[in-house]
Amino acid sequence: MRRKSFNRREKLQYLSLVLPGLLLFTIGLILPMFLSFSYSLTSWDGMSAAKPFIGFKNYARFFTDPFAGQAWIFTFKFTFWNTIIQNVFALLFAIALNSAIKGKKIYRTVFFIPCLISAIIVGFIWLRMFINILPALNRFLGTNINFLLFGSGKTVLAGLLLANNWQWIGYWMLIYLAALQSIPGELYEAANIDGATTLGKFRHITIPLLAPAFTICIVGITTGSLKVYELLVTSTWGGPGRASTSIIYYIYNTAISGRQYGYGSAMSIVLVLVLFLVALVQLGFLRKKEVQL
Amino acid sequence: MRGSNGNAFFKGKKPLPAENPAPGAAEKYTLGTGMIQVLMTLAALLFAAPVFIILNYSFKTVRELYLSNPLALPESFQLGNYISAFKKLDLLTTFTNTFIYTAVTVVVLVMLCGASSWAIARCKNRFFKFSYIYFLLGIFIPHQALFLQIYMIGFRTGLINTRLGVILMYIATGMSFGVFLMTSFMTTVPVELEEAAKIDGCSVYRTYFFIVLPLLKPAIATLTILQAFQIWNDYLMASLFISSQELRTLTLAMQMLFSQQSSDYTTAMAAIIISVLPVAILFISMQKYFVKGMTVGALKG
Repeated sequence: MRRKSFNRREKLQYLSLVLPGLLLFTIGLILPMFLSFSYSLTSWDGMSAAKPFIGFKNYARFFTDPFAGQAWIFTFKFTFWNTIIQNVFALLFAIALNSAIKGKKIYRTVFFIPCLISAIIVGFIWLRMFINILPALNRFLGTNINFLLFGSGKTVLAGLLLANNWQWIGYWMLIYLAALQSIPGELYEAANIDGATTLGKFRHITIPLLAPAFTICIVGITTGSLKVYELLVTSTWGGPGRASTSIIYYIYNTAISGRQYGYGSAMSIVLVLVLFLVALVQLGFLRKKEVQL
Repeated sequence: MRGSNGNAFFKGKKPLPAENPAPGAAEKYTLGTGMIQVLMTLAALLFAAPVFIILNYSFKTVRELYLSNPLALPESFQLGNYISAFKKLDLLTTFTNTFIYTAVTVVVLVMLCGASSWAIARCKNRFFKFSYIYFLLGIFIPHQALFLQIYMIGFRTGLINTRLGVILMYIATGMSFGVFLMTSFMTTVPVELEEAAKIDGCSVYRTYFFIVLPLLKPAIATLTILQAFQIWNDYLMASLFISSQELRTLTLAMQMLFSQQSSDYTTAMAAIIISVLPVAILFISMQKYFVKGMTVGALKG
Protein backbone atom coordinates (compact mmCIF):
# COMPACT_ATOMS: atom_id res chain seq x y z
CA MET A 1 0.00 0.00 0.00
CA ARG A 2 2.66 2.46 1.01
CA ARG A 3 4.71 1.80 -2.09
CA LYS A 4 1.74 2.34 -4.32
CA SER A 5 0.94 5.73 -2.83
CA PHE A 6 4.56 6.71 -3.16
CA ASN A 7 4.50 5.83 -6.83
CA ARG A 8 1.41 7.83 -7.30
CA ARG A 9 2.95 10.84 -5.67
CA GLU A 10 5.94 10.39 -7.86
CA LYS A 11 3.81 10.20 -10.95
CA LEU A 12 2.09 13.42 -9.96
CA GLN A 13 5.49 15.00 -9.58
CA TYR A 14 6.49 13.88 -13.04
CA LEU A 15 3.18 15.19 -14.29
CA SER A 16 3.93 18.56 -12.74
CA LEU A 17 7.19 18.62 -14.70
CA VAL A 18 5.47 18.22 -18.04
CA LEU A 19 2.39 20.35 -17.38
CA PRO A 20 3.78 23.91 -17.52
CA GLY A 21 5.36 23.31 -20.90
CA LEU A 22 2.31 21.51 -22.17
CA LEU A 23 0.04 24.35 -21.07
CA LEU A 24 2.13 27.11 -22.62
CA PHE A 25 2.51 25.15 -25.83
CA THR A 26 -1.24 24.58 -26.02
CA ILE A 27 -2.09 28.23 -25.48
CA GLY A 28 0.65 29.55 -27.72
CA LEU A 29 0.39 27.22 -30.68
CA ILE A 30 -2.48 24.73 -30.60
CA LEU A 31 -5.14 27.20 -29.51
CA PRO A 32 -4.19 29.62 -32.32
CA MET A 33 -4.76 26.77 -34.78
CA PHE A 34 -8.33 26.26 -33.57
CA LEU A 35 -8.97 30.00 -33.29
CA SER A 36 -7.66 30.42 -36.80
CA PHE A 37 -10.09 27.83 -38.09
CA SER A 38 -13.07 29.35 -36.30
CA TYR A 39 -12.24 32.87 -37.52
CA SER A 40 -11.71 31.56 -41.03
CA LEU A 41 -15.43 30.78 -41.20
CA THR A 42 -16.39 34.40 -40.50
CA SER A 43 -16.07 37.72 -42.28
CA TRP A 44 -14.66 39.35 -39.16
CA ASP A 45 -12.64 42.54 -39.68
CA GLY A 46 -10.51 41.94 -36.59
CA MET A 47 -11.89 44.94 -34.68
CA SER A 48 -15.67 44.95 -34.33
CA ALA A 49 -17.66 42.77 -31.95
CA ALA A 50 -19.67 41.14 -34.74
CA LYS A 51 -18.18 38.06 -36.33
CA PRO A 52 -20.64 37.16 -39.10
CA PHE A 53 -20.54 33.47 -39.91
CA ILE A 54 -20.11 32.85 -43.64
CA GLY A 55 -19.14 29.18 -43.79
CA PHE A 56 -16.43 28.20 -46.23
CA LYS A 57 -16.78 31.32 -48.38
CA ASN A 58 -13.32 32.54 -47.42
CA TYR A 59 -11.82 29.33 -48.71
CA ALA A 60 -13.81 29.55 -51.94
CA ARG A 61 -12.74 33.17 -52.36
CA PHE A 62 -9.18 32.14 -51.93
CA PHE A 63 -9.29 30.09 -55.14
CA THR A 64 -10.59 33.00 -57.20
CA ASP A 65 -8.44 35.72 -55.65
CA PRO A 66 -5.85 36.64 -58.31
CA PHE A 67 -3.61 38.40 -55.77
CA ALA A 68 -3.51 35.33 -53.56
CA GLY A 69 -2.70 33.24 -56.62
CA GLN A 70 0.15 35.58 -57.47
CA ALA A 71 1.45 35.37 -53.90
CA TRP A 72 1.38 31.56 -53.99
CA ILE A 73 3.16 31.49 -57.34
CA PHE A 74 5.88 33.83 -56.11
CA THR A 75 6.29 31.80 -52.90
CA PHE A 76 6.53 28.51 -54.79
CA LYS A 77 9.02 29.88 -57.33
CA PHE A 78 11.13 31.34 -54.53
CA THR A 79 11.01 28.02 -52.67
CA PHE A 80 11.81 25.92 -55.74
CA TRP A 81 14.93 27.89 -56.71
CA ASN A 82 16.09 28.23 -53.12
CA THR A 83 15.92 24.50 -52.57
CA ILE A 84 17.99 23.82 -55.67
CA ILE A 85 20.55 26.62 -55.38
CA GLN A 86 21.13 26.33 -51.65
CA ASN A 87 21.49 22.57 -51.67
CA VAL A 88 23.88 22.53 -54.63
CA PHE A 89 26.14 25.30 -53.35
CA ALA A 90 26.04 24.17 -49.73
CA LEU A 91 27.07 20.67 -50.77
CA LEU A 92 29.78 21.91 -53.16
CA PHE A 93 31.23 24.22 -50.52
CA ALA A 94 31.10 21.45 -47.92
CA ILE A 95 32.94 19.04 -50.21
CA ALA A 96 35.55 21.69 -50.97
CA LEU A 97 36.05 22.45 -47.26
CA ASN A 98 36.36 18.74 -46.59
CA SER A 99 39.30 18.42 -49.01
CA ALA A 100 42.94 19.14 -48.20
CA ILE A 101 42.70 22.91 -48.75
CA LYS A 102 44.30 25.27 -46.26
CA GLY A 103 42.61 27.75 -43.93
CA LYS A 104 39.31 25.87 -43.61
CA LYS A 105 38.26 27.77 -40.50
CA ILE A 106 38.53 31.10 -42.29
CA TYR A 107 36.36 29.95 -45.19
CA ARG A 108 33.82 28.45 -42.80
CA THR A 109 33.60 31.69 -40.84
CA VAL A 110 33.20 33.82 -43.98
CA PHE A 111 30.41 31.64 -45.36
CA PHE A 112 28.67 31.26 -42.03
CA ILE A 113 28.55 34.83 -40.71
CA PRO A 114 25.70 36.06 -42.99
CA CYS A 115 23.28 33.58 -41.40
CA LEU A 116 23.84 35.17 -38.00
CA ILE A 117 22.47 38.44 -39.35
CA SER A 118 18.75 39.12 -39.03
CA ALA A 119 16.83 38.77 -42.32
CA ILE A 120 15.59 42.34 -41.77
CA ILE A 121 19.17 43.56 -42.04
CA VAL A 122 20.00 41.25 -44.96
CA GLY A 123 17.08 42.69 -46.91
CA PHE A 124 18.30 46.23 -46.35
CA ILE A 125 21.91 45.36 -47.19
CA TRP A 126 20.92 44.04 -50.61
CA LEU A 127 18.50 46.87 -51.27
CA ARG A 128 21.35 49.34 -50.82
CA MET A 129 23.74 47.12 -52.77
CA PHE A 130 21.45 47.07 -55.78
CA ILE A 131 20.31 50.69 -55.64
CA ASN A 132 23.35 52.65 -54.51
CA ILE A 133 26.52 50.65 -54.28
CA LEU A 134 26.68 48.42 -57.36
CA PRO A 135 25.48 51.13 -59.80
CA ALA A 136 28.33 53.31 -58.49
CA LEU A 137 30.56 50.50 -59.70
CA ASN A 138 29.22 51.14 -63.20
CA ARG A 139 30.39 54.73 -63.02
CA PHE A 140 33.77 53.57 -61.84
CA LEU A 141 34.23 50.86 -64.46
CA GLY A 142 32.51 52.76 -67.25
CA THR A 143 30.13 49.83 -67.82
CA ASN A 144 26.36 49.77 -68.02
CA ILE A 145 25.29 46.66 -66.11
CA ASN A 146 21.76 46.71 -64.73
CA PHE A 147 22.12 46.12 -61.01
CA LEU A 148 18.60 47.29 -60.10
CA LEU A 149 17.31 43.78 -59.54
CA PHE A 150 14.56 44.84 -57.12
CA GLY A 151 13.29 47.44 -59.58
CA SER A 152 11.57 45.19 -62.09
CA GLY A 153 9.09 42.37 -61.73
CA LYS A 154 11.25 40.24 -64.00
CA THR A 155 14.41 40.43 -61.90
CA VAL A 156 13.06 40.84 -58.38
CA LEU A 157 13.02 37.07 -57.79
CA ALA A 158 16.68 36.81 -58.83
CA GLY A 159 17.60 39.65 -56.49
CA LEU A 160 15.80 38.07 -53.53
CA LEU A 161 17.32 34.68 -54.29
CA LEU A 162 20.75 36.28 -54.27
CA ALA A 163 20.11 37.92 -50.90
CA ASN A 164 18.55 34.84 -49.33
CA ASN A 165 21.19 32.44 -50.61
CA TRP A 166 23.98 34.75 -49.49
CA GLN A 167 22.47 34.50 -46.04
CA TRP A 168 21.76 30.77 -45.79
CA ILE A 169 24.26 28.78 -47.89
CA GLY A 170 26.79 28.82 -45.04
CA TYR A 171 24.29 27.35 -42.59
CA TRP A 172 23.40 24.35 -44.72
CA MET A 173 27.04 23.96 -45.74
CA LEU A 174 27.81 23.35 -42.09
CA ILE A 175 25.25 20.54 -41.88
CA TYR A 176 26.66 18.85 -44.99
CA LEU A 177 30.17 19.34 -43.65
CA ALA A 178 29.27 17.67 -40.35
CA ALA A 179 27.73 14.74 -42.23
CA LEU A 180 30.77 14.42 -44.50
CA GLN A 181 33.11 14.39 -41.56
CA SER A 182 31.16 11.62 -39.87
CA ILE A 183 31.81 9.25 -42.80
CA PRO A 184 34.54 6.86 -41.65
CA GLY A 185 37.76 7.14 -43.64
CA GLU A 186 38.18 3.35 -43.87
CA LEU A 187 35.32 3.18 -46.33
CA TYR A 188 37.30 5.29 -48.76
CA GLU A 189 40.47 3.32 -48.08
CA ALA A 190 38.69 0.07 -48.84
CA ALA A 191 37.30 1.57 -52.03
CA ASN A 192 40.78 2.71 -53.01
CA ILE A 193 42.08 -0.85 -52.61
CA ASP A 194 39.24 -2.04 -54.85
CA GLY A 195 40.37 0.51 -57.42
CA ALA A 196 37.32 2.77 -57.27
CA THR A 197 37.33 6.05 -59.18
CA THR A 198 36.73 9.39 -57.48
CA LEU A 199 33.31 9.62 -59.08
CA GLY A 200 32.50 6.04 -58.11
CA LYS A 201 33.43 6.72 -54.50
CA PHE A 202 31.27 9.81 -54.52
CA ARG A 203 28.29 7.95 -55.94
CA HIS A 204 28.51 4.79 -53.90
CA ILE A 205 29.90 6.03 -50.58
CA THR A 206 29.45 9.77 -50.13
CA ILE A 207 25.94 10.24 -51.52
CA PRO A 208 24.30 7.28 -49.70
CA LEU A 209 25.89 8.18 -46.38
CA LEU A 210 24.79 11.79 -46.80
CA ALA A 211 21.14 10.73 -47.09
CA PRO A 212 20.12 11.94 -43.59
CA ALA A 213 21.76 15.32 -44.24
CA PHE A 214 19.93 15.58 -47.57
CA THR A 215 16.64 15.00 -45.77
CA ILE A 216 17.33 17.71 -43.19
CA CYS A 217 18.60 20.27 -45.68
CA ILE A 218 15.90 19.75 -48.30
CA VAL A 219 13.02 19.81 -45.81
CA GLY A 220 14.58 22.70 -43.88
CA ILE A 221 15.17 24.88 -46.92
CA THR A 222 11.77 24.17 -48.45
CA THR A 223 9.69 24.88 -45.37
CA GLY A 224 11.88 27.85 -44.48
CA SER A 225 11.43 29.40 -47.92
CA LEU A 226 7.66 28.92 -47.86
CA LYS A 227 7.59 31.14 -44.77
CA VAL A 228 9.61 34.00 -46.28
CA TYR A 229 8.51 37.36 -44.91
CA GLU A 230 11.18 39.31 -43.03
CA LEU A 231 13.51 39.59 -46.01
CA LEU A 232 10.78 41.43 -47.95
CA VAL A 233 10.00 43.94 -45.20
CA THR A 234 13.14 45.97 -45.77
CA SER A 235 13.96 45.18 -49.39
CA THR A 236 11.08 45.05 -51.86
CA TRP A 237 7.95 45.60 -49.71
CA GLY A 238 6.37 42.88 -51.79
CA GLY A 239 6.90 44.87 -54.96
CA PRO A 240 7.33 46.14 -57.59
CA GLY A 241 3.60 45.93 -57.94
CA ARG A 242 2.91 42.60 -56.27
CA ALA A 243 5.75 40.77 -57.95
CA SER A 244 7.46 39.69 -54.74
CA THR A 245 4.53 39.44 -52.34
CA SER A 246 4.97 36.18 -50.44
CA ILE A 247 2.02 34.40 -48.92
CA ILE A 248 2.79 35.51 -45.35
CA TYR A 249 3.29 39.06 -46.61
CA TYR A 250 -0.10 38.87 -48.31
CA ILE A 251 -1.81 37.49 -45.21
CA TYR A 252 -0.28 40.29 -43.16
CA ASN A 253 -1.50 42.97 -45.54
CA THR A 254 -4.94 41.48 -45.98
CA ALA A 255 -5.61 40.85 -42.32
CA ILE A 256 -3.98 43.83 -40.64
CA SER A 257 -3.98 46.70 -43.14
CA GLY A 258 -6.93 45.38 -45.17
CA ARG A 259 -8.95 44.49 -42.04
CA GLN A 260 -10.05 41.14 -43.42
CA TYR A 261 -9.20 39.02 -40.46
CA GLY A 262 -11.48 36.15 -41.41
CA TYR A 263 -10.00 35.86 -44.87
CA GLY A 264 -6.46 36.15 -43.50
CA SER A 265 -7.22 33.33 -41.06
CA ALA A 266 -8.46 31.12 -43.86
CA MET A 267 -5.25 31.72 -45.77
CA SER A 268 -3.11 30.95 -42.74
CA ILE A 269 -4.97 27.66 -42.26
CA VAL A 270 -4.23 26.80 -45.90
CA LEU A 271 -0.59 27.77 -45.41
CA VAL A 272 -0.29 25.52 -42.36
CA LEU A 273 -1.79 22.65 -44.36
CA VAL A 274 0.55 23.25 -47.31
CA LEU A 275 3.60 23.37 -45.04
CA PHE A 276 2.44 20.24 -43.25
CA LEU A 277 1.87 18.35 -46.50
CA VAL A 278 5.13 19.45 -48.11
CA ALA A 279 7.13 18.42 -45.06
CA LEU A 280 5.29 15.11 -44.78
CA VAL A 281 5.65 14.19 -48.45
CA GLN A 282 9.32 15.15 -48.53
CA LEU A 283 10.06 13.34 -45.29
CA GLY A 284 8.25 10.23 -46.46
CA PHE A 285 10.05 10.21 -49.79
CA LEU A 286 13.52 11.02 -48.46
CA ARG A 287 13.33 8.71 -45.44
CA LYS A 288 12.42 5.83 -47.75
CA LYS A 289 15.55 6.58 -49.77
CA GLU A 290 17.58 6.48 -46.58
CA VAL A 291 16.34 2.98 -45.74
CA GLN A 292 16.92 1.67 -49.24
CA LEU A 293 20.54 2.74 -49.35
CA MET B 1 30.14 -12.53 -19.85
CA ARG B 2 29.17 -9.53 -21.82
CA GLY B 3 32.64 -8.11 -21.70
CA SER B 4 34.25 -11.29 -22.96
CA ASN B 5 31.75 -11.56 -25.76
CA GLY B 6 32.57 -8.05 -26.79
CA ASN B 7 36.26 -8.81 -26.86
CA ALA B 8 35.76 -11.91 -28.94
CA PHE B 9 33.73 -9.89 -31.38
CA PHE B 10 36.45 -7.35 -31.83
CA LYS B 11 39.27 -9.90 -32.09
CA GLY B 12 38.53 -10.78 -35.68
CA LYS B 13 38.51 -7.18 -36.77
CA LYS B 14 41.56 -5.17 -37.58
CA PRO B 15 42.26 -2.53 -34.95
CA LEU B 16 40.81 0.88 -35.58
CA PRO B 17 43.35 3.51 -36.54
CA ALA B 18 44.22 5.87 -33.72
CA GLU B 19 42.82 8.75 -35.70
CA ASN B 20 39.72 8.57 -37.79
CA PRO B 21 40.58 10.95 -40.57
CA ALA B 22 37.87 12.67 -42.54
CA PRO B 23 37.79 11.57 -46.16
CA GLY B 24 40.13 13.82 -47.98
CA ALA B 25 42.03 14.85 -44.90
CA ALA B 26 44.57 12.20 -45.75
CA GLU B 27 44.84 13.50 -49.31
CA LYS B 28 47.89 15.44 -50.33
CA TYR B 29 47.90 18.99 -51.55
CA THR B 30 47.74 18.45 -55.31
CA LEU B 31 46.99 20.53 -58.36
CA GLY B 32 43.32 19.72 -57.94
CA THR B 33 43.32 20.89 -54.35
CA GLY B 34 45.08 24.05 -55.43
CA MET B 35 42.33 24.75 -57.94
CA ILE B 36 39.68 24.19 -55.28
CA GLN B 37 41.59 26.59 -53.05
CA VAL B 38 41.50 29.28 -55.74
CA LEU B 39 37.79 28.78 -56.43
CA MET B 40 36.91 28.84 -52.74
CA THR B 41 38.96 31.99 -52.21
CA LEU B 42 37.01 33.67 -55.00
CA ALA B 43 33.70 32.51 -53.49
CA ALA B 44 34.77 33.69 -50.04
CA LEU B 45 35.75 37.10 -51.40
CA LEU B 46 32.33 37.45 -53.04
CA PHE B 47 30.63 36.40 -49.81
CA ALA B 48 32.63 38.83 -47.71
CA ALA B 49 32.37 41.74 -50.17
CA PRO B 50 29.03 43.14 -48.90
CA VAL B 51 30.38 43.25 -45.34
CA PHE B 52 33.51 45.13 -46.39
CA ILE B 53 31.51 47.53 -48.52
CA ILE B 54 29.20 48.26 -45.57
CA LEU B 55 32.17 48.74 -43.27
CA ASN B 56 33.74 51.14 -45.77
CA TYR B 57 30.54 53.15 -46.22
CA SER B 58 29.93 53.34 -42.49
CA PHE B 59 32.93 55.68 -42.21
CA LYS B 60 32.04 57.90 -45.15
CA THR B 61 30.30 61.24 -45.00
CA VAL B 62 27.16 61.98 -47.00
CA ARG B 63 29.20 64.15 -49.35
CA GLU B 64 31.60 61.32 -50.10
CA LEU B 65 28.66 58.99 -50.62
CA TYR B 66 27.67 60.78 -53.80
CA LEU B 67 30.91 62.30 -55.02
CA SER B 68 33.77 59.91 -54.46
CA ASN B 69 34.70 56.59 -56.05
CA PRO B 70 32.56 53.82 -54.48
CA LEU B 71 35.53 51.58 -53.87
CA ALA B 72 37.79 54.26 -52.42
CA LEU B 73 38.46 54.31 -48.73
CA PRO B 74 36.90 57.19 -46.80
CA GLU B 75 38.92 60.43 -46.75
CA SER B 76 39.07 60.29 -43.00
CA PHE B 77 37.68 57.57 -40.76
CA GLN B 78 34.92 59.42 -38.99
CA LEU B 79 32.89 57.97 -36.19
CA GLY B 80 30.02 60.39 -36.76
CA ASN B 81 27.83 57.74 -38.34
CA TYR B 82 28.37 55.41 -35.41
CA ILE B 83 27.45 58.09 -32.89
CA SER B 84 24.27 58.97 -34.75
CA ALA B 85 23.39 55.29 -35.23
CA PHE B 86 23.93 54.70 -31.53
CA LYS B 87 21.42 57.46 -30.75
CA LYS B 88 18.90 56.61 -33.44
CA LEU B 89 18.82 52.95 -32.49
CA ASP B 90 18.40 53.95 -28.86
CA LEU B 91 21.02 51.29 -28.43
CA LEU B 92 21.17 51.00 -24.66
CA THR B 93 17.45 50.33 -24.42
CA THR B 94 17.03 48.14 -27.48
CA PHE B 95 20.10 46.08 -26.76
CA THR B 96 19.05 45.53 -23.14
CA ASN B 97 15.53 44.58 -24.21
CA THR B 98 16.72 42.10 -26.81
CA PHE B 99 19.13 40.64 -24.29
CA ILE B 100 16.42 40.24 -21.63
CA TYR B 101 13.97 38.60 -24.03
CA THR B 102 16.60 36.23 -25.33
CA ALA B 103 18.17 35.32 -22.01
CA VAL B 104 14.96 34.80 -20.03
CA THR B 105 13.36 32.81 -22.85
CA VAL B 106 16.35 30.54 -23.27
CA VAL B 107 16.74 29.84 -19.53
CA VAL B 108 13.06 29.07 -19.00
CA LEU B 109 12.85 27.12 -22.23
CA VAL B 110 15.80 24.94 -21.27
CA MET B 111 14.24 24.22 -17.85
CA LEU B 112 10.80 23.42 -19.25
CA CYS B 113 12.04 21.37 -22.19
CA GLY B 114 14.42 19.44 -19.96
CA ALA B 115 11.69 18.75 -17.39
CA SER B 116 9.11 17.73 -20.01
CA SER B 117 11.55 15.52 -21.90
CA TRP B 118 12.75 13.82 -18.74
CA ALA B 119 9.21 13.08 -17.59
CA ILE B 120 8.35 11.79 -21.06
CA ALA B 121 11.46 9.60 -21.21
CA ARG B 122 10.99 8.11 -17.72
CA CYS B 123 7.22 7.70 -17.46
CA LYS B 124 6.14 5.49 -20.25
CA ASN B 125 2.38 5.53 -19.76
CA ARG B 126 -0.12 6.65 -22.34
CA PHE B 127 -0.39 10.23 -21.18
CA PHE B 128 3.31 10.89 -21.57
CA LYS B 129 3.49 9.15 -24.93
CA PHE B 130 0.61 11.31 -26.08
CA SER B 131 2.36 14.44 -24.75
CA TYR B 132 5.43 13.65 -26.81
CA ILE B 133 3.48 13.33 -30.06
CA TYR B 134 1.47 16.41 -29.14
CA PHE B 135 4.67 18.43 -28.72
CA LEU B 136 6.03 17.11 -32.00
CA LEU B 137 3.00 18.49 -33.83
CA GLY B 138 4.44 21.92 -33.22
CA ILE B 139 7.42 21.17 -35.47
CA PHE B 140 4.98 20.82 -38.33
CA ILE B 141 2.87 23.84 -37.37
CA PRO B 142 5.04 26.85 -38.10
CA HIS B 143 4.20 29.71 -35.74
CA GLN B 144 4.93 32.21 -38.52
CA ALA B 145 1.82 30.97 -40.29
CA LEU B 146 -0.33 31.61 -37.21
CA PHE B 147 0.91 35.05 -36.27
CA LEU B 148 -2.57 36.61 -36.50
CA GLN B 149 -4.07 34.30 -33.91
CA ILE B 150 -1.04 34.42 -31.65
CA TYR B 151 -1.45 38.20 -31.71
CA MET B 152 -5.17 37.81 -30.95
CA ILE B 153 -4.44 35.65 -27.90
CA GLY B 154 -1.89 38.18 -26.73
CA PHE B 155 -4.49 40.89 -27.20
CA ARG B 156 -7.20 39.05 -25.26
CA THR B 157 -4.93 38.23 -22.36
CA GLY B 158 -3.60 41.79 -22.21
CA LEU B 159 -0.06 40.63 -22.92
CA ILE B 160 0.49 42.89 -25.92
CA ASN B 161 3.20 45.46 -25.20
CA THR B 162 4.52 43.64 -22.16
CA ARG B 163 7.86 41.93 -21.62
CA LEU B 164 6.08 38.88 -20.23
CA GLY B 165 3.95 38.55 -23.37
CA VAL B 166 6.92 38.46 -25.72
CA ILE B 167 8.78 35.98 -23.55
CA LEU B 168 5.80 33.64 -23.07
CA MET B 169 5.20 33.61 -26.81
CA TYR B 170 8.81 32.75 -27.59
CA ILE B 171 8.72 29.95 -25.02
CA ALA B 172 5.47 28.53 -26.38
CA THR B 173 6.74 28.47 -29.96
CA GLY B 174 10.12 27.05 -28.95
CA MET B 175 8.83 24.11 -26.89
CA SER B 176 8.40 21.64 -29.74
CA PHE B 177 11.91 21.64 -31.07
CA GLY B 178 13.37 21.71 -27.57
CA VAL B 179 11.37 18.69 -26.41
CA PHE B 180 12.26 16.82 -29.59
CA LEU B 181 15.98 17.54 -29.22
CA MET B 182 16.13 16.76 -25.51
CA THR B 183 14.03 13.61 -25.65
CA SER B 184 16.30 12.13 -28.31
CA PHE B 185 19.27 13.10 -26.14
CA MET B 186 17.69 11.60 -23.00
CA THR B 187 18.46 8.04 -24.15
CA THR B 188 22.14 8.75 -23.52
CA VAL B 189 21.50 9.75 -19.90
CA PRO B 190 22.07 6.78 -17.55
CA VAL B 191 19.10 5.82 -15.38
CA GLU B 192 21.35 4.32 -12.68
CA LEU B 193 22.34 7.71 -11.29
CA GLU B 194 18.71 8.71 -10.88
CA GLU B 195 17.88 5.40 -9.20
CA ALA B 196 20.76 5.85 -6.80
CA ALA B 197 19.52 9.35 -6.00
CA LYS B 198 16.03 7.99 -5.40
CA ILE B 199 17.31 5.37 -2.96
CA ASP B 200 19.14 8.14 -1.13
CA GLY B 201 15.79 9.84 -0.71
CA CYS B 202 16.05 12.48 -3.39
CA SER B 203 12.70 13.90 -4.54
CA VAL B 204 11.78 14.04 -8.21
CA TYR B 205 12.48 17.77 -8.35
CA ARG B 206 15.83 17.53 -6.61
CA THR B 207 16.83 14.69 -8.92
CA TYR B 208 15.90 16.77 -11.94
CA PHE B 209 17.81 19.88 -10.87
CA PHE B 210 20.90 18.25 -9.39
CA ILE B 211 21.29 15.00 -11.32
CA VAL B 212 19.53 15.25 -14.68
CA LEU B 213 20.10 18.88 -15.71
CA PRO B 214 23.89 18.69 -15.35
CA LEU B 215 23.92 15.55 -17.53
CA LEU B 216 22.02 17.36 -20.27
CA LYS B 217 24.79 19.89 -20.89
CA PRO B 218 25.42 19.10 -24.59
CA ALA B 219 21.72 19.25 -25.41
CA ILE B 220 21.32 22.44 -23.37
CA ALA B 221 24.21 24.07 -25.25
CA THR B 222 22.68 23.14 -28.59
CA LEU B 223 19.22 24.36 -27.69
CA THR B 224 20.63 27.60 -26.24
CA ILE B 225 22.57 28.39 -29.40
CA LEU B 226 19.76 27.57 -31.81
CA GLN B 227 17.05 29.39 -29.85
CA ALA B 228 19.17 32.39 -28.88
CA PHE B 229 19.87 33.31 -32.48
CA GLN B 230 16.32 32.80 -33.58
CA ILE B 231 15.02 35.09 -30.82
CA TRP B 232 17.80 37.64 -31.20
CA ASN B 233 17.02 38.02 -34.91
CA ASP B 234 13.24 37.70 -34.71
CA TYR B 235 11.18 40.41 -36.29
CA LEU B 236 7.65 39.20 -37.14
CA MET B 237 6.56 38.23 -33.62
CA ALA B 238 8.29 41.16 -31.94
CA SER B 239 6.62 43.58 -34.35
CA LEU B 240 3.21 42.11 -33.51
CA PHE B 241 3.67 42.22 -29.75
CA ILE B 242 5.60 45.42 -29.25
CA SER B 243 4.85 48.95 -30.31
CA SER B 244 6.14 50.93 -27.34
CA GLN B 245 9.52 52.66 -27.61
CA GLU B 246 10.82 51.37 -24.26
CA LEU B 247 10.15 47.72 -25.02
CA ARG B 248 11.27 47.42 -28.63
CA THR B 249 14.08 45.17 -29.77
CA LEU B 250 17.15 45.82 -31.84
CA THR B 251 15.60 44.43 -35.03
CA LEU B 252 12.53 46.64 -34.57
CA ALA B 253 14.75 49.67 -34.12
CA MET B 254 16.78 48.66 -37.18
CA GLN B 255 13.64 48.39 -39.28
CA MET B 256 12.56 51.88 -38.18
CA LEU B 257 15.96 53.29 -38.95
CA PHE B 258 16.08 51.68 -42.39
CA SER B 259 12.77 53.20 -43.39
CA GLN B 260 13.99 56.67 -42.32
CA GLN B 261 17.49 56.61 -43.78
CA SER B 262 16.89 56.13 -47.47
CA SER B 263 19.06 58.93 -48.83
CA ASP B 264 21.68 59.16 -46.09
CA TYR B 265 22.33 55.49 -45.66
CA THR B 266 25.76 55.91 -44.06
CA THR B 267 24.13 55.96 -40.61
CA ALA B 268 22.24 52.78 -41.48
CA MET B 269 25.52 51.17 -42.54
CA ALA B 270 27.08 52.03 -39.20
CA ALA B 271 23.98 50.64 -37.48
CA ILE B 272 24.39 47.36 -39.37
CA ILE B 273 27.99 47.06 -38.22
CA ILE B 274 27.00 47.84 -34.62
CA SER B 275 24.26 45.22 -34.61
CA VAL B 276 26.27 42.50 -36.33
CA LEU B 277 29.53 42.99 -34.43
CA PRO B 278 28.54 41.40 -31.09
CA VAL B 279 27.06 38.38 -32.84
CA ALA B 280 30.07 37.95 -35.10
CA ILE B 281 32.51 38.25 -32.19
CA LEU B 282 30.50 35.73 -30.19
CA PHE B 283 30.54 33.32 -33.11
CA ILE B 284 34.24 33.66 -33.86
CA SER B 285 35.31 33.32 -30.24
CA MET B 286 33.08 30.31 -29.58
CA GLN B 287 33.26 28.78 -33.05
CA LYS B 288 34.20 25.31 -31.83
CA TYR B 289 31.16 24.86 -29.56
CA PHE B 290 28.96 26.81 -31.84
CA VAL B 291 29.55 24.75 -34.95
CA LYS B 292 29.15 21.57 -32.93
CA GLY B 293 25.88 22.76 -31.43
CA MET B 294 24.48 23.93 -34.75
CA THR B 295 25.22 20.68 -36.51
CA VAL B 296 24.14 18.41 -33.67
CA GLY B 297 20.86 20.28 -33.33
CA ALA B 298 20.16 20.24 -37.02
CA LEU B 299 21.14 16.63 -37.53
CA LYS B 300 18.82 15.60 -34.74
CA GLY B 301 16.04 17.87 -35.95
